Amino acid sequence: MDNHPKLSVIVPFFNEEESIRPLYVAIVSAVEPLGVSFEMVFVDDGSSDETVRIATELAVADPRVRVVQFRRNYGQTPAMAAGIEHARGEILITMDGDLQNDPTDIRLFLDKIAEGYDIVVGWRFNRQDKLVSRKIPSRIANRLIGKVTGVPINDNGCSLKAYRASLIKEIPLYSEMHRFIPAMASIAGPRIAEIKVKHHARQFGKSKYGLSRIYKVLLDLLVIKTVASFTSRPLIWFVLLSLPLVAVGTATLGWSLYVMIAEHQDLSLPVAGTGLIFLSSALILVSGGAFGELVYKTSDMREHHFARLTARLERGYTSDTEG
Amino acid sequence: MLQKDSPIELSVIIPVGDRHSDARALFADYEEGLDKLAMHYEVIFVLDGPQGDFAAGLQPLLREHGNMTVVTLTRSFGEATALMAGFEHASAELVLTLPAYFQIRGSEIPKLVDALQSADAAVARRWPRAGGRLEQLRRNAFHGLIAWITGLRFRDLGCGARALRRRVLEEISLYGDQHRFLALLADRQGFRVKEVDVAQSALDRFTGHYRTREYAHRVLDIFTVFFLVRFTKKPLRFFGMVGVTTFGIGAVLLLYLVIDRLAFSHGLADRPALLLSSLLVVLGLQLFALGLLGELIIFTHAKSIKDYQVKEVIQFTHAQLAGNPENEAVTP
Repeated sequence: MDNHPKLSVIVPFFNEEESIRPLYVAIVSAVEPLGVSFEMVFVDDGSSDETVRIATELAVADPRVRVVQFRRNYGQTPAMAAGIEHARGEILITMDGDLQNDPTDIRLFLDKIAEGYDIVVGWRFNRQDKLVSRKIPSRIANRLIGKVTGVPINDNGCSLKAYRASLIKEIPLYSEMHRFIPAMASIAGPRIAEIKVKHHARQFGKSKYGLSRIYKVLLDLLVIKTVASFTSRPLIWFVLLSLPLVAVGTATLGWSLYVMIAEHQDLSLPVAGTGLIFLSSALILVSGGAFGELVYKTSDMREHHFARLTARLERGYTSDTEG
Repeated sequence: MLQKDSPIELSVIIPVGDRHSDARALFADYEEGLDKLAMHYEVIFVLDGPQGDFAAGLQPLLREHGNMTVVTLTRSFGEATALMAGFEHASAELVLTLPAYFQIRGSEIPKLVDALQSADAAVARRWPRAGGRLEQLRRNAFHGLIAWITGLRFRDLGCGARALRRRVLEEISLYGDQHRFLALLADRQGFRVKEVDVAQSALDRFTGHYRTREYAHRVLDIFTVFFLVRFTKKPLRFFGMVGVTTFGIGAVLLLYLVIDRLAFSHGLADRPALLLSSLLVVLGLQLFALGLLGELIIFTHAKSIKDYQVKEVIQFTHAQLAGNPENEAVTP
């Protein structure tokens, strides 16, 4: 087995002892006919059942299987991040370990990547899940995510996605951002395509990663919005944020001074104080922005770093240089 | 100690701070337990600042024992830093940390080391425990708070006797006074941590009374744990929540004042509540902005702070499969 296959199929598992073997068979029978070299990265997210033992058996029988075992259960985002880190292919495909995605779709993803897209996301067009508890909330969430991040994707929750390794390996993934990988990657301005995929109802076990609390999603979304749209300019962003404060503060303070001078009344302490509070708060915010600039200056996450990831090179060529 | 040429199996690290017992008596007690282990061990004393009397007591011990090292730090850096300084000189796979004053009976050491057979770290819990009711109450309150914050129930974080696999200390970065939280941080990193009941030393008696400063330190400790364990990677979850709450209270109050002004003509100018409400609004905003700044820091360093710990990577090459398929896993 060469160390750098063309394709890595990344599957996180958490207590999926019944699914792992059928999924392995399905992946192999779907990808082998395509004639590309590939590996499978199985990430065990601290399973307490037989998942690891079965995965190890698969690794013993097939050198294309790579098992990354976590010390304990960390969650889906770390599992994805670990899979991406340990994968060695040029194209990475992630999918769920519960057989709800269909490996025969992998071919479509490879075609899209070959067309020049950096990220291809699956859309569970015909989703086999409960309507009220899963489909409707997810539809609302997807709308919101699309609006806020500016990456309109119909189905962020679908695990079946394909990435160019050189891009996705540079995108930080943490917290619970597996839902927002395309949005997070949008920092680098990738070419994103969406394709409809098959979706099967769960055969074994129960769903592990349910809808978590909404506020987490909202805050994560806000974080992504912040870091994605203001990557290198926190100062400007904080200055914008402080403008309304300056306006309110100046108006309030000015009014209290005007009343004092023009109408010869005592200075109203609450009103003048309110004005001062708003103005000083604006000052602190601007300082915060300057602090943010410092943070970026000292890190290597500068915008050009991301720009490089998706940039396409075309070199000039003339006939006389060849001679 | 066993024969000198066999590899060292256990490194004993004893950080020595201001509170310490007589070196000779202490080591004689520990030696009793260590010799029962039948392991080849080394002892590393780390003097956290020049502890004159203890250092003097160590001199005769150094003459008698070959596998003994004394590391002297120029000033007092804190017990956790001393531990890490000692660990730099440790060569064994298993590490045992022991306090520099009588906390546990030396004869109980094997219990701790044996516990490593089914765990990555074993921390001692002095039990049964001497001490008055007030002290017990104080202790329970401290550990109860920690358990509430972290969800991890340890009952004697103050005990300095711990047995650890080498990996644990390699992956946890400790500094200052964080030695108390070693068990918590190790668990956080995904290590299996066990609490082992050991007999308390008859000499473990704290005679003085705790000063206010001591209490203040414990409260700060709890804050430290709070941030170390809960919010390290999600600053906005914390600051955002506090900020939004503050902002909300202020906004509601402000709204009430404005309605009062418009509908009932209560002048705003002579209402100090206006100051309070605008202060709350602004404070909420600041906290939120602080959370965002925290997120910026996390984002820019996310590649170097790992969210997860990999136990091992299992993959076999063709060659391995042809030869001996049963073992050989590659570890990262």
